[in-house]
Amino acid sequence: MRLTLPFATAVALAAAVAVAFSDSSIVVLALPELYFHFKTSIVGVSWVITAYNLVVALGALALIPLVGRFPRAEAASGLVLFLGASLGCGLAWSLPALFTFRCLQGAGAALLLAGSLPILSALTGSAKRGTALWTAAGAVGVAVGPALGGVLTELFDWRAIFFAQAPVAALGIAATIHRHVRTLPERKTSRRGPLTANAALVFLFGAIVGALFLAVLLIVTAWQFTPITGALVVSALPLAGLVTSRLSRSLSVAEGVVSGAVLLAAGLVALALLPESSAAYAVPALAFCGAGFGLAVPPLTRASVDEQDLGRSATLSVGARHIGLVLGLLAIAPVLASTVSTAGEQATTNATKTILDARLPLTKKVPIALAIRDEFDRAQDGAIPDLAKPFEDAGAGDDERVRTAEDQLLTAVRAPLTRSFRPGFAIAALFGAAAALPLLLLRRRRTA
Amino acid sequence: MKVVAALLAAAVVLVAVELGMGAWGFGETKTVNPCTARSPSTGDGLDGALQRIVLDGLNGAACELHTTREELVLSLRPSSGQKVKWDSATIERAVRAGLVRAIDAAERRGDVPSFLAPLLREAAQHAPVKFLINGGSRLTDILGSLFP
Repeated sequence: MRLTLPFATAVALAAAVAVAFSDSSIVVLALPELYFHFKTSIVGVSWVITAYNLVVALGALALIPLVGRFPRAEAASGLVLFLGASLGCGLAWSLPALFTFRCLQGAGAALLLAGSLPILSALTGSAKRGTALWTAAGAVGVAVGPALGGVLTELFDWRAIFFAQAPVAALGIAATIHRHVRTLPERKTSRRGPLTANAALVFLFGAIVGALFLAVLLIVTAWQFTPITGALVVSALPLAGLVTSRLSRSLSVAEGVVSGAVLLAAGLVALALLPESSAAYAVPALAFCGAGFGLAVPPLTRASVDEQDLGRSATLSVGARHIGLVLGLLAIAPVLASTVSTAGEQATTNATKTILDARLPLTKKVPIALAIRDEFDRAQDGAIPDLAKPFEDAGAGDDERVRTAEDQLLTAVRAPLTRSFRPGFAIAALFGAAAALPLLLLRRRRTA
Repeated sequence: MKVVAALLAAAVVLVAVELGMGAWGFGETKTVNPCTARSPSTGDGLDGALQRIVLDGLNGAACELHTTREELVLSLRPSSGQKVKWDSATIERAVRAGLVRAIDAAERRGDVPSFLAPLLREAAQHAPVKFLINGGSRLTDILGSLFP
Protein backbone atom coordinates (compact mmCIF):
# COMPACT_ATOMS: atom_id res chain seq x y z
CA MET A 1 0.00 0.00 0.00
CA ARG A 2 1.39 3.40 -1.04
CA LEU A 3 1.72 5.87 1.83
CA THR A 4 -0.21 8.93 0.62
CA LEU A 5 -0.91 12.04 2.67
CA PRO A 6 -4.65 11.34 2.99
CA PHE A 7 -3.87 7.74 4.05
CA ALA A 8 -1.34 8.91 6.67
CA THR A 9 -3.90 11.47 7.88
CA ALA A 10 -6.54 8.72 8.09
CA VAL A 11 -4.17 6.47 10.10
CA ALA A 12 -3.41 9.32 12.54
CA LEU A 13 -7.14 9.95 13.05
CA ALA A 14 -7.84 6.21 13.35
CA ALA A 15 -5.16 6.00 16.07
CA ALA A 16 -7.01 8.73 18.00
CA VAL A 17 -10.29 6.81 17.50
CA ALA A 18 -8.58 3.62 18.80
CA VAL A 19 -7.38 5.54 21.89
CA ALA A 20 -10.90 6.90 22.54
CA PHE A 21 -12.32 3.36 22.29
CA SER A 22 -9.45 1.92 24.36
CA ASP A 23 -10.24 4.34 27.18
CA SER A 24 -13.26 2.16 27.95
CA SER A 25 -10.90 -0.53 29.19
CA ILE A 26 -7.33 0.86 29.29
CA VAL A 27 -7.50 1.61 33.02
CA VAL A 28 -8.61 -1.92 33.92
CA LEU A 29 -5.11 -3.23 34.77
CA ALA A 30 -4.41 -0.05 36.74
CA LEU A 31 -7.55 -0.52 38.88
CA PRO A 32 -5.71 -2.35 41.71
CA GLU A 33 -3.15 0.50 41.84
CA LEU A 34 -5.95 3.13 41.82
CA TYR A 35 -7.81 1.09 44.46
CA PHE A 36 -4.85 1.29 46.85
CA HIS A 37 -3.69 4.79 45.83
CA PHE A 38 -7.08 6.40 46.56
CA LYS A 39 -8.07 3.89 49.29
CA THR A 40 -11.50 3.34 47.73
CA SER A 41 -13.85 0.36 47.26
CA ILE A 42 -14.33 -2.03 44.30
CA VAL A 43 -17.52 -0.20 43.33
CA GLY A 44 -15.75 3.17 43.79
CA VAL A 45 -12.81 2.23 41.59
CA SER A 46 -15.12 0.74 38.94
CA TRP A 47 -16.53 4.26 38.44
CA VAL A 48 -13.19 5.32 36.93
CA ILE A 49 -14.29 3.20 33.96
CA THR A 50 -18.05 3.63 34.32
CA ALA A 51 -17.92 7.46 34.42
CA TYR A 52 -16.07 7.59 31.08
CA ASN A 53 -18.36 5.09 29.37
CA LEU A 54 -21.51 6.69 30.76
CA VAL A 55 -20.56 10.16 29.45
CA VAL A 56 -19.57 8.71 26.03
CA ALA A 57 -22.95 6.90 25.85
CA LEU A 58 -25.03 9.92 26.94
CA GLY A 59 -22.93 12.32 24.86
CA ALA A 60 -23.27 10.18 21.74
CA LEU A 61 -27.06 9.90 22.14
CA ALA A 62 -27.35 13.66 22.74
CA LEU A 63 -25.24 14.37 19.64
CA ILE A 64 -27.37 12.27 17.24
CA PRO A 65 -29.60 15.19 16.08
CA LEU A 66 -26.52 17.38 15.49
CA VAL A 67 -23.95 15.06 13.90
CA GLY A 68 -23.11 15.04 10.23
CA ARG A 69 -23.32 18.82 9.78
CA PHE A 70 -19.83 19.79 10.96
CA PRO A 71 -17.85 16.57 11.43
CA ARG A 72 -14.44 18.32 11.32
CA ALA A 73 -15.49 20.78 14.01
CA GLU A 74 -16.98 17.95 16.11
CA ALA A 75 -13.88 15.76 15.85
CA ALA A 76 -11.40 18.61 16.36
CA SER A 77 -13.21 20.09 19.38
CA GLY A 78 -13.61 16.58 20.80
CA LEU A 79 -9.90 15.88 20.41
CA VAL A 80 -8.92 19.19 22.08
CA LEU A 81 -11.22 18.38 25.02
CA PHE A 82 -9.92 14.80 25.11
CA LEU A 83 -6.29 15.95 25.13
CA GLY A 84 -6.84 18.44 27.96
CA ALA A 85 -8.85 15.96 30.01
CA SER A 86 -6.22 13.22 29.51
CA LEU A 87 -3.55 15.52 30.95
CA GLY A 88 -5.97 16.37 33.79
CA CYS A 89 -6.49 12.66 34.54
CA GLY A 90 -2.71 12.16 34.63
CA LEU A 91 -2.36 15.00 37.14
CA ALA A 92 -5.47 14.08 39.21
CA TRP A 93 -4.89 14.68 42.92
CA SER A 94 -8.00 12.93 44.24
CA LEU A 95 -10.63 10.42 43.16
CA PRO A 96 -13.32 13.12 42.58
CA ALA A 97 -10.79 15.03 40.42
CA LEU A 98 -10.07 11.87 38.44
CA PHE A 99 -13.83 11.22 37.99
CA THR A 100 -14.31 14.82 36.75
CA PHE A 101 -11.50 14.59 34.18
CA ARG A 102 -12.71 11.13 33.10
CA CYS A 103 -16.16 12.65 32.42
CA LEU A 104 -14.55 15.44 30.36
CA GLN A 105 -12.52 12.79 28.51
CA GLY A 106 -15.79 10.96 27.80
CA ALA A 107 -17.40 14.14 26.42
CA GLY A 108 -14.39 14.70 24.15
CA ALA A 109 -14.47 11.06 23.02
CA ALA A 110 -18.20 11.29 22.20
CA LEU A 111 -17.54 14.31 19.94
CA LEU A 112 -14.52 12.65 18.34
CA LEU A 113 -16.26 9.33 17.69
CA ALA A 114 -19.34 11.11 16.30
CA GLY A 115 -17.33 13.18 13.84
CA SER A 116 -14.56 10.76 12.90
CA LEU A 117 -16.36 8.26 10.63
CA PRO A 118 -17.42 10.77 7.92
CA ILE A 119 -13.86 12.16 7.95
CA LEU A 120 -12.28 8.70 7.66
CA SER A 121 -14.67 7.87 4.81
CA ALA A 122 -13.65 11.05 3.00
CA LEU A 123 -9.93 10.37 3.55
CA THR A 124 -10.11 6.74 2.39
CA GLY A 125 -12.34 7.58 -0.55
CA SER A 126 -15.40 5.48 0.35
CA ALA A 127 -17.80 4.90 3.20
CA LYS A 128 -17.01 1.17 3.11
CA ARG A 129 -13.25 1.65 3.58
CA GLY A 130 -13.82 4.38 6.16
CA THR A 131 -16.18 2.12 8.13
CA ALA A 132 -13.68 -0.77 7.92
CA LEU A 133 -10.88 1.44 9.31
CA TRP A 134 -13.14 2.90 12.02
CA THR A 135 -14.32 -0.62 13.02
CA ALA A 136 -10.76 -1.95 13.12
CA ALA A 137 -9.63 1.03 15.24
CA GLY A 138 -12.54 0.44 17.65
CA ALA A 139 -11.95 -3.30 17.99
CA VAL A 140 -8.18 -2.91 18.44
CA GLY A 141 -8.71 -0.09 20.95
CA VAL A 142 -11.15 -1.99 23.19
CA ALA A 143 -9.19 -5.23 23.05
CA VAL A 144 -5.60 -3.95 23.31
CA GLY A 145 -6.44 -1.28 25.91
CA PRO A 146 -6.01 -3.41 29.05
CA ALA A 147 -2.67 -4.89 27.97
CA LEU A 148 -1.31 -1.46 27.04
CA GLY A 149 -2.54 0.00 30.33
CA GLY A 150 -0.94 -2.87 32.24
CA VAL A 151 2.46 -2.36 30.61
CA LEU A 152 2.39 1.42 31.24
CA THR A 153 1.28 0.90 34.86
CA GLU A 154 4.13 -1.51 35.60
CA LEU A 155 6.84 0.41 33.72
CA PHE A 156 5.80 3.81 35.13
CA ASP A 157 2.51 4.14 37.08
CA TRP A 158 -1.21 4.62 36.40
CA ARG A 159 -0.73 8.30 35.49
CA ALA A 160 1.39 7.26 32.47
CA ILE A 161 -1.75 5.72 30.88
CA PHE A 162 -3.29 9.18 30.55
CA PHE A 163 -0.13 11.10 29.62
CA ALA A 164 0.56 8.58 26.82
CA GLN A 165 -2.80 9.44 25.21
CA ALA A 166 -2.00 13.16 24.80
CA PRO A 167 0.42 12.88 21.81
CA VAL A 168 -1.99 10.56 19.95
CA ALA A 169 -4.80 13.08 20.50
CA ALA A 170 -2.49 15.90 19.29
CA LEU A 171 -1.75 13.94 16.09
CA GLY A 172 -5.48 13.43 15.66
CA ILE A 173 -6.06 17.20 15.92
CA ALA A 174 -3.44 17.81 13.24
CA ALA A 175 -5.09 15.17 11.01
CA THR A 176 -8.59 16.58 11.51
CA ILE A 177 -7.76 20.18 10.65
CA HIS A 178 -5.65 19.20 7.62
CA ARG A 179 -6.78 20.76 4.33
CA HIS A 180 -7.16 17.30 2.70
CA VAL A 181 -10.16 16.63 4.87
CA ARG A 182 -13.37 17.16 2.91
CA THR A 183 -16.42 15.26 4.13
CA LEU A 184 -19.13 13.84 1.85
CA PRO A 185 -22.74 15.08 2.00
CA GLU A 186 -25.09 12.81 3.98
CA ARG A 187 -28.75 11.80 3.81
CA LYS A 188 -30.77 11.03 6.89
CA THR A 189 -32.42 7.61 6.66
CA SER A 190 -34.35 5.33 8.97
CA ARG A 191 -33.78 1.58 8.88
CA ARG A 192 -34.80 -1.17 11.21
CA GLY A 193 -31.57 -3.15 10.86
CA PRO A 194 -29.33 -0.77 12.82
CA LEU A 195 -31.70 -0.92 15.80
CA THR A 196 -31.36 -4.72 16.02
CA ALA A 197 -27.60 -4.53 15.50
CA ASN A 198 -27.29 -1.81 18.14
CA ALA A 199 -29.33 -3.85 20.62
CA ALA A 200 -26.92 -6.75 20.06
CA LEU A 201 -23.93 -4.38 20.50
CA VAL A 202 -25.29 -3.29 23.90
CA PHE A 203 -25.18 -6.88 25.21
CA LEU A 204 -21.93 -7.78 23.47
CA PHE A 205 -20.03 -4.84 24.98
CA GLY A 206 -21.64 -5.49 28.38
CA ALA A 207 -20.19 -9.01 28.21
CA ILE A 208 -16.73 -7.96 27.03
CA VAL A 209 -16.27 -5.34 29.75
CA GLY A 210 -17.24 -8.07 32.22
CA ALA A 211 -14.58 -10.37 30.80
CA LEU A 212 -11.88 -7.69 30.90
CA PHE A 213 -12.80 -6.05 34.23
CA LEU A 214 -13.23 -9.34 36.11
CA ALA A 215 -10.31 -11.20 34.51
CA VAL A 216 -7.88 -8.38 35.25
CA LEU A 217 -9.00 -7.98 38.87
CA LEU A 218 -8.81 -11.76 39.35
CA ILE A 219 -5.35 -12.09 37.84
CA VAL A 220 -3.72 -9.02 39.39
CA THR A 221 -5.50 -8.73 42.75
CA ALA A 222 -6.43 -12.30 43.71
CA TRP A 223 -3.58 -14.18 42.00
CA GLN A 224 -1.11 -11.32 42.50
CA PHE A 225 0.39 -11.45 39.01
CA THR A 226 2.31 -8.31 38.02
CA PRO A 227 0.50 -5.93 35.59
CA ILE A 228 2.79 -6.99 32.71
CA THR A 229 2.20 -10.72 33.36
CA GLY A 230 -1.51 -9.93 33.72
CA ALA A 231 -1.35 -8.07 30.39
CA LEU A 232 0.23 -11.12 28.75
CA VAL A 233 -2.55 -13.39 30.06
CA VAL A 234 -5.32 -10.97 29.02
CA SER A 235 -3.68 -10.53 25.57
CA ALA A 236 -5.17 -13.92 24.63
CA LEU A 237 -8.46 -12.05 24.19
CA PRO A 238 -7.43 -9.44 21.55
CA LEU A 239 -5.14 -11.87 19.75
CA ALA A 240 -7.94 -14.40 19.28
CA GLY A 241 -10.27 -11.54 18.31
CA LEU A 242 -7.91 -10.36 15.57
CA VAL A 243 -7.74 -13.87 14.11
CA THR A 244 -11.50 -14.47 14.08
CA SER A 245 -12.40 -10.97 12.84
CA ARG A 246 -10.92 -12.04 9.46
CA LEU A 247 -13.00 -15.20 9.62
CA SER A 248 -16.19 -13.19 10.15
CA ARG A 249 -15.96 -11.76 6.60
CA SER A 250 -17.08 -15.11 5.15
CA LEU A 251 -20.12 -15.29 7.47
CA SER A 252 -23.53 -13.65 7.23
CA VAL A 253 -24.44 -11.10 9.92
CA ALA A 254 -26.67 -13.62 11.73
CA GLU A 255 -24.05 -16.40 11.56
CA GLY A 256 -21.27 -14.14 12.80
CA VAL A 257 -23.28 -12.61 15.62
CA VAL A 258 -24.96 -15.79 16.90
CA SER A 259 -21.81 -17.92 16.80
CA GLY A 260 -19.75 -15.06 18.26
CA ALA A 261 -22.21 -14.45 21.09
CA VAL A 262 -22.36 -18.17 21.96
CA LEU A 263 -18.55 -18.45 21.88
CA LEU A 264 -18.15 -15.35 24.06
CA ALA A 265 -20.71 -16.73 26.54
CA ALA A 266 -18.94 -20.12 26.56
CA GLY A 267 -15.59 -18.43 27.27
CA LEU A 268 -17.17 -16.55 30.17
CA VAL A 269 -18.71 -19.77 31.54
CA ALA A 270 -15.23 -21.33 31.35
CA LEU A 271 -13.88 -18.36 33.36
CA ALA A 272 -16.71 -18.80 35.88
CA LEU A 273 -15.82 -22.49 36.28
CA LEU A 274 -12.04 -22.29 36.75
CA PRO A 275 -10.98 -25.47 38.59
CA GLU A 276 -7.81 -23.87 40.00
CA SER A 277 -6.20 -20.44 40.36
CA SER A 278 -4.10 -20.85 37.24
CA ALA A 279 -3.49 -19.05 33.95
CA ALA A 280 -3.51 -22.47 32.23
CA TYR A 281 -7.32 -22.40 32.24
CA ALA A 282 -7.80 -18.61 32.13
CA VAL A 283 -5.83 -18.13 28.88
CA PRO A 284 -7.92 -20.50 26.69
CA ALA A 285 -11.13 -19.18 28.27
CA LEU A 286 -10.11 -15.58 27.47
CA ALA A 287 -9.13 -16.67 23.95
CA PHE A 288 -12.66 -18.04 23.42
CA CYS A 289 -14.10 -14.73 24.68
CA GLY A 290 -11.89 -12.83 22.21
CA ALA A 291 -12.75 -15.22 19.36
CA GLY A 292 -16.45 -14.65 19.98
CA PHE A 293 -15.98 -10.89 20.15
CA GLY A 294 -13.97 -10.93 16.92
CA LEU A 295 -16.66 -12.95 15.13
CA ALA A 296 -19.57 -10.77 16.24
CA VAL A 297 -18.32 -7.16 16.19
CA PRO A 298 -17.38 -6.63 12.50
CA PRO A 299 -20.74 -7.84 11.09
CA LEU A 300 -22.61 -5.92 13.81
CA THR A 301 -20.71 -2.73 12.95
CA ARG A 302 -21.46 -3.21 9.25
CA ALA A 303 -25.13 -3.73 10.11
CA SER A 304 -25.33 -0.81 12.53
CA VAL A 305 -23.58 1.78 10.34
CA ASP A 306 -25.63 3.12 7.44
CA GLU A 307 -23.37 4.27 4.60
CA GLN A 308 -25.99 6.87 3.56
CA ASP A 309 -26.13 8.33 7.05
CA LEU A 310 -22.64 7.73 8.40
CA GLY A 311 -22.38 10.34 11.14
CA ARG A 312 -25.73 9.65 12.78
CA SER A 313 -25.59 5.85 12.54
CA ALA A 314 -21.97 5.72 13.76
CA THR A 315 -22.86 7.93 16.73
CA LEU A 316 -25.79 5.68 17.60
CA SER A 317 -23.48 2.66 17.33
CA VAL A 318 -20.96 4.35 19.67
CA GLY A 319 -23.79 5.12 22.11
CA ALA A 320 -24.99 1.48 22.03
CA ARG A 321 -21.50 0.12 22.72
CA HIS A 322 -20.92 2.41 25.67
CA ILE A 323 -24.40 1.83 27.11
CA GLY A 324 -23.47 -1.86 27.07
CA LEU A 325 -20.17 -1.15 28.84
CA VAL A 326 -21.97 0.88 31.51
CA LEU A 327 -24.72 -1.71 32.01
CA GLY A 328 -22.12 -4.48 32.29
CA LEU A 329 -20.15 -2.61 34.94
CA LEU A 330 -23.26 -1.55 36.86
CA ALA A 331 -24.48 -5.16 36.96
CA ILE A 332 -21.15 -6.81 37.79
CA ALA A 333 -19.23 -4.46 40.14
CA PRO A 334 -21.68 -4.55 43.11
CA VAL A 335 -22.04 -8.35 42.86
CA LEU A 336 -18.25 -8.74 42.86
CA ALA A 337 -17.87 -6.39 45.82
CA SER A 338 -20.29 -8.53 47.84
CA THR A 339 -18.85 -11.93 46.90
CA VAL A 340 -15.22 -10.83 47.38
CA SER A 341 -16.03 -9.62 50.88
CA THR A 342 -17.38 -13.06 51.85
CA ALA A 343 -14.47 -14.77 50.09
CA GLY A 344 -12.03 -12.66 52.12
CA GLU A 345 -13.44 -14.15 55.33
CA GLN A 346 -13.21 -17.67 53.86
CA ALA A 347 -9.63 -17.01 52.77
CA THR A 348 -8.73 -15.99 56.34
CA THR A 349 -10.34 -19.17 57.70
CA ASN A 350 -8.49 -21.28 55.11
CA ALA A 351 -5.19 -19.54 55.92
CA THR A 352 -5.70 -20.28 59.63
CA LYS A 353 -6.41 -23.96 58.93
CA THR A 354 -3.39 -24.28 56.63
CA ILE A 355 -1.00 -22.73 59.12
CA LEU A 356 -2.33 -24.80 62.04
CA ASP A 357 -2.01 -28.06 60.08
CA ALA A 358 1.30 -27.24 58.32
CA ARG A 359 4.06 -29.80 58.80
CA LEU A 360 6.51 -27.33 60.29
CA PRO A 361 8.38 -27.21 63.60
CA LEU A 362 6.98 -24.76 66.15
CA THR A 363 10.13 -22.66 65.86
CA LYS A 364 9.18 -21.87 62.26
CA LYS A 365 5.40 -22.15 62.50
CA VAL A 366 4.88 -19.57 65.27
CA PRO A 367 6.97 -16.76 63.64
CA ILE A 368 5.30 -17.45 60.27
CA ALA A 369 1.81 -17.36 61.84
CA LEU A 370 2.57 -14.08 63.64
CA ALA A 371 4.05 -12.49 60.46
CA ILE A 372 1.00 -13.57 58.42
CA ARG A 373 -1.27 -12.08 61.09
CA ASP A 374 0.61 -8.76 60.66
CA GLU A 375 0.29 -9.01 56.86
CA PHE A 376 -3.50 -9.51 57.15
CA ASP A 377 -3.68 -6.52 59.53
CA ARG A 378 -1.83 -4.43 56.93
CA ALA A 379 -4.25 -5.66 54.23
CA GLN A 380 -7.16 -4.30 56.26
CA ASP A 381 -5.57 -0.86 55.82
CA GLY A 382 -5.88 -1.25 52.05
CA ALA A 383 -2.68 -3.10 51.09
CA ILE A 384 -2.43 -6.49 49.39
CA PRO A 385 -1.04 -8.93 51.98
CA ASP A 386 2.41 -10.17 50.96
CA LEU A 387 1.92 -13.77 52.05
CA ALA A 388 5.18 -14.95 50.49
CA LYS A 389 7.43 -12.74 52.64
CA PRO A 390 6.91 -14.54 56.01
CA PHE A 391 7.88 -17.81 54.31
CA GLU A 392 10.95 -16.26 52.67
CA ASP A 393 12.01 -14.93 56.08
CA ALA A 394 11.51 -18.43 57.53
CA GLY A 395 13.86 -19.94 54.92
CA ALA A 396 11.56 -20.98 52.04
CA GLY A 397 14.62 -20.77 49.77
CA ASP A 398 16.40 -23.69 51.51
CA ASP A 399 13.65 -25.53 53.40
CA GLU A 400 11.34 -27.77 51.35
CA ARG A 401 8.80 -27.97 54.22
CA VAL A 402 8.48 -24.16 54.39
CA ARG A 403 8.07 -24.01 50.61
CA THR A 404 5.34 -26.67 50.72
CA ALA A 405 3.53 -24.78 53.49
CA GLU A 406 3.77 -21.57 51.43
CA ASP A 407 2.26 -23.29 48.35
CA GLN A 408 -0.53 -24.74 50.48
CA LEU A 409 -1.31 -21.35 52.02
CA LEU A 410 -1.38 -19.49 48.68
CA THR A 411 -3.64 -22.18 47.16
CA ALA A 412 -5.96 -22.07 50.19
CA VAL A 413 -6.25 -18.26 50.07
CA ARG A 414 -6.65 -17.94 46.29
CA ALA A 415 -9.27 -20.67 45.90
CA PRO A 416 -12.22 -18.88 47.59
CA LEU A 417 -11.17 -15.56 46.02
CA THR A 418 -11.19 -17.15 42.55
CA ARG A 419 -14.57 -18.73 43.24
CA SER A 420 -15.96 -15.35 44.33
CA PHE A 421 -15.61 -14.11 40.71
CA ARG A 422 -18.00 -16.85 39.53
CA PRO A 423 -21.30 -14.87 39.82
CA GLY A 424 -19.73 -11.89 38.02
CA PHE A 425 -18.54 -14.05 35.12
CA ALA A 426 -21.95 -15.76 35.03
CA ILE A 427 -23.70 -12.36 34.67
CA ALA A 428 -21.26 -11.41 31.88
CA ALA A 429 -22.00 -14.77 30.17
CA LEU A 430 -25.73 -13.92 30.27
CA PHE A 431 -24.93 -10.59 28.59
CA GLY A 432 -22.94 -12.50 25.93
CA ALA A 433 -25.73 -15.00 25.26
CA ALA A 434 -28.29 -12.17 25.15
CA ALA A 435 -26.35 -10.54 22.28
CA ALA A 436 -27.65 -13.30 19.99
CA LEU A 437 -31.29 -12.70 20.95
CA PRO A 438 -32.11 -9.53 18.94
CA LEU A 439 -30.95 -11.16 15.69
CA LEU A 440 -32.68 -14.46 16.43
CA LEU A 441 -35.93 -12.61 17.24
CA LEU A 442 -35.69 -10.53 14.06
CA ARG A 443 -35.06 -13.65 11.96
CA ARG A 444 -38.02 -15.41 13.57
CA ARG A 445 -40.28 -12.44 12.86
CA ARG A 446 -39.16 -12.37 9.24
CA THR A 447 -39.77 -16.09 8.71
CA ALA A 448 -43.17 -15.94 10.50
CA MET B 1 -18.29 -22.21 9.17
CA LYS B 2 -16.40 -25.45 9.97
CA VAL B 3 -13.76 -23.45 11.89
CA VAL B 4 -16.49 -21.70 13.88
CA ALA B 5 -18.12 -25.06 14.71
CA ALA B 6 -14.71 -26.41 15.80
CA LEU B 7 -14.20 -23.36 18.05
CA LEU B 8 -17.62 -23.85 19.65
CA ALA B 9 -16.88 -27.55 20.22
CA ALA B 10 -13.49 -26.68 21.75
CA ALA B 11 -15.14 -24.21 24.14
CA VAL B 12 -17.61 -26.89 25.26
CA VAL B 13 -14.69 -29.32 25.76
CA LEU B 14 -12.87 -26.74 27.92
CA VAL B 15 -15.94 -26.32 30.17
CA ALA B 16 -16.32 -30.13 30.38
CA VAL B 17 -12.62 -30.55 31.31
CA GLU B 18 -12.98 -27.87 34.00
CA LEU B 19 -16.02 -29.61 35.48
CA GLY B 20 -14.13 -32.93 35.32
CA MET B 21 -11.25 -31.29 37.26
CA GLY B 22 -13.67 -30.44 40.09
CA ALA B 23 -14.53 -26.86 39.12
CA TRP B 24 -17.98 -27.01 40.70
CA GLY B 25 -16.68 -27.52 44.24
CA PHE B 26 -13.46 -25.49 43.79
CA GLY B 27 -12.99 -22.82 46.43
CA GLU B 28 -15.68 -24.13 48.78
CA THR B 29 -14.68 -23.92 52.41
CA LYS B 30 -14.88 -27.37 53.95
CA THR B 31 -15.44 -27.20 57.69
CA VAL B 32 -14.39 -30.11 59.87
CA ASN B 33 -16.41 -31.23 62.89
CA PRO B 34 -14.01 -30.55 65.80
CA CYS B 35 -15.75 -33.15 67.99
CA THR B 36 -14.78 -36.00 65.65
CA ALA B 37 -11.70 -34.53 63.93
CA ARG B 38 -8.31 -36.18 64.36
CA SER B 39 -5.42 -33.74 64.24
CA PRO B 40 -3.03 -34.36 61.34
CA SER B 41 0.57 -35.31 61.95
CA THR B 42 2.51 -32.05 62.07
CA GLY B 43 5.94 -33.51 62.76
CA ASP B 44 7.98 -36.02 64.77
CA GLY B 45 9.42 -36.09 68.27
CA LEU B 46 8.52 -33.73 71.06
CA ASP B 47 7.73 -30.85 68.67
CA GLY B 48 5.16 -32.96 66.81
CA ALA B 49 3.67 -34.21 70.10
CA LEU B 50 3.31 -30.69 71.50
CA GLN B 51 1.69 -29.44 68.28
CA ARG B 52 -0.75 -32.33 68.31
CA ILE B 53 -1.66 -31.50 71.92
CA VAL B 54 -2.34 -27.88 70.95
CA LEU B 55 -4.40 -28.87 67.89
CA ASP B 56 -6.36 -31.52 69.84
CA GLY B 57 -6.85 -28.96 72.62
CA LEU B 58 -8.23 -26.41 70.17
CA ASN B 59 -10.53 -29.05 68.66
CA GLY B 60 -11.78 -29.95 72.13
CA ALA B 61 -12.42 -26.30 73.00
CA ALA B 62 -14.15 -25.67 69.64
CA CYS B 63 -16.34 -28.75 70.19
CA GLU B 64 -17.33 -27.47 73.63
CA LEU B 65 -18.20 -24.03 72.21
CA HIS B 66 -20.05 -25.53 69.17
CA THR B 67 -17.79 -23.80 66.66
CA THR B 68 -14.88 -24.67 64.35
CA ARG B 69 -11.23 -24.72 65.36
CA GLU B 70 -10.43 -21.89 62.88
CA GLU B 71 -13.30 -19.68 64.06
CA LEU B 72 -12.13 -20.17 67.64
CA VAL B 73 -8.53 -19.20 66.82
CA LEU B 74 -9.67 -16.13 64.87
CA SER B 75 -11.99 -15.05 67.68
CA LEU B 76 -8.92 -14.79 69.95
CA ARG B 77 -7.91 -11.78 67.85
CA PRO B 78 -10.59 -9.02 67.66
CA SER B 79 -8.68 -7.32 64.77
CA SER B 80 -9.33 -10.39 62.56
CA GLY B 81 -12.88 -9.09 62.08
CA GLN B 82 -14.33 -12.39 63.33
CA LYS B 83 -17.49 -11.86 65.40
CA VAL B 84 -16.71 -12.92 68.98
CA LYS B 85 -19.63 -14.97 70.27
CA TRP B 86 -18.24 -15.66 73.74
CA ASP B 87 -16.60 -13.62 76.47
CA SER B 88 -12.84 -14.05 76.97
CA ALA B 89 -13.30 -16.00 80.21
CA THR B 90 -15.48 -18.61 78.46
CA ILE B 91 -12.94 -19.00 75.64
CA GLU B 92 -9.99 -19.27 78.04
CA ARG B 93 -11.77 -21.86 80.18
CA ALA B 94 -12.70 -23.96 77.12
CA VAL B 95 -9.16 -23.76 75.67
CA ARG B 96 -7.52 -24.73 78.98
CA ALA B 97 -9.96 -27.65 79.45
CA GLY B 98 -9.33 -28.81 75.87
CA LEU B 99 -5.56 -28.66 76.36
CA VAL B 100 -5.71 -30.64 79.60
CA ARG B 101 -7.80 -33.37 77.89
CA ALA B 102 -5.33 -33.42 74.98
CA ILE B 103 -2.36 -33.76 77.38
CA ASP B 104 -4.14 -36.66 79.14
CA ALA B 105 -4.67 -38.38 75.78
CA ALA B 106 -1.05 -37.75 74.70
CA GLU B 107 0.20 -39.25 78.00
CA ARG B 108 -1.98 -42.34 77.48
CA ARG B 109 -0.57 -42.73 73.94
CA GLY B 110 2.97 -42.29 75.28
CA ASP B 111 3.60 -39.25 73.09
CA VAL B 112 5.07 -37.20 75.98
CA PRO B 113 7.47 -38.42 78.69
CA SER B 114 5.57 -39.14 81.95
CA PHE B 115 7.64 -36.57 83.92
CA LEU B 116 6.65 -33.83 81.46
CA ALA B 117 2.87 -34.45 81.43
CA PRO B 118 2.18 -32.88 84.89
CA LEU B 119 4.29 -29.82 83.96
CA LEU B 120 2.38 -29.36 80.73
CA ARG B 121 -0.95 -29.86 82.53
CA GLU B 122 0.06 -27.24 85.10
CA ALA B 123 1.03 -24.80 82.32
CA ALA B 124 -2.21 -25.45 80.44
CA GLN B 125 -4.28 -24.76 83.55
CA HIS B 126 -2.52 -21.66 84.85
CA ALA B 127 -0.05 -20.06 82.41
CA PRO B 128 -1.09 -16.91 80.47
CA VAL B 129 -2.15 -17.72 76.89
CA LYS B 130 0.63 -15.50 75.44
CA PHE B 131 3.20 -17.48 77.41
CA LEU B 132 1.79 -20.73 76.03
CA ILE B 133 2.31 -19.53 72.46
CA ASN B 134 5.79 -18.01 72.83
CA GLY B 135 6.94 -20.44 75.50
CA GLY B 136 5.82 -23.40 73.41
CA SER B 137 8.28 -22.66 70.65
CA ARG B 138 11.10 -21.92 73.09
CA LEU B 139 10.35 -25.07 75.11
CA THR B 140 10.72 -27.22 72.00
CA ASP B 141 14.01 -25.45 71.25
CA ILE B 142 15.35 -26.50 74.63
CA LEU B 143 13.70 -29.90 74.99
CA GLY B 144 14.05 -30.76 71.29
CA SER B 145 17.83 -30.92 71.70
CA LEU B 146 17.42 -33.22 74.75
CA PHE B 147 14.68 -35.49 73.24
CA PRO B 148 15.18 -35.37 69.42
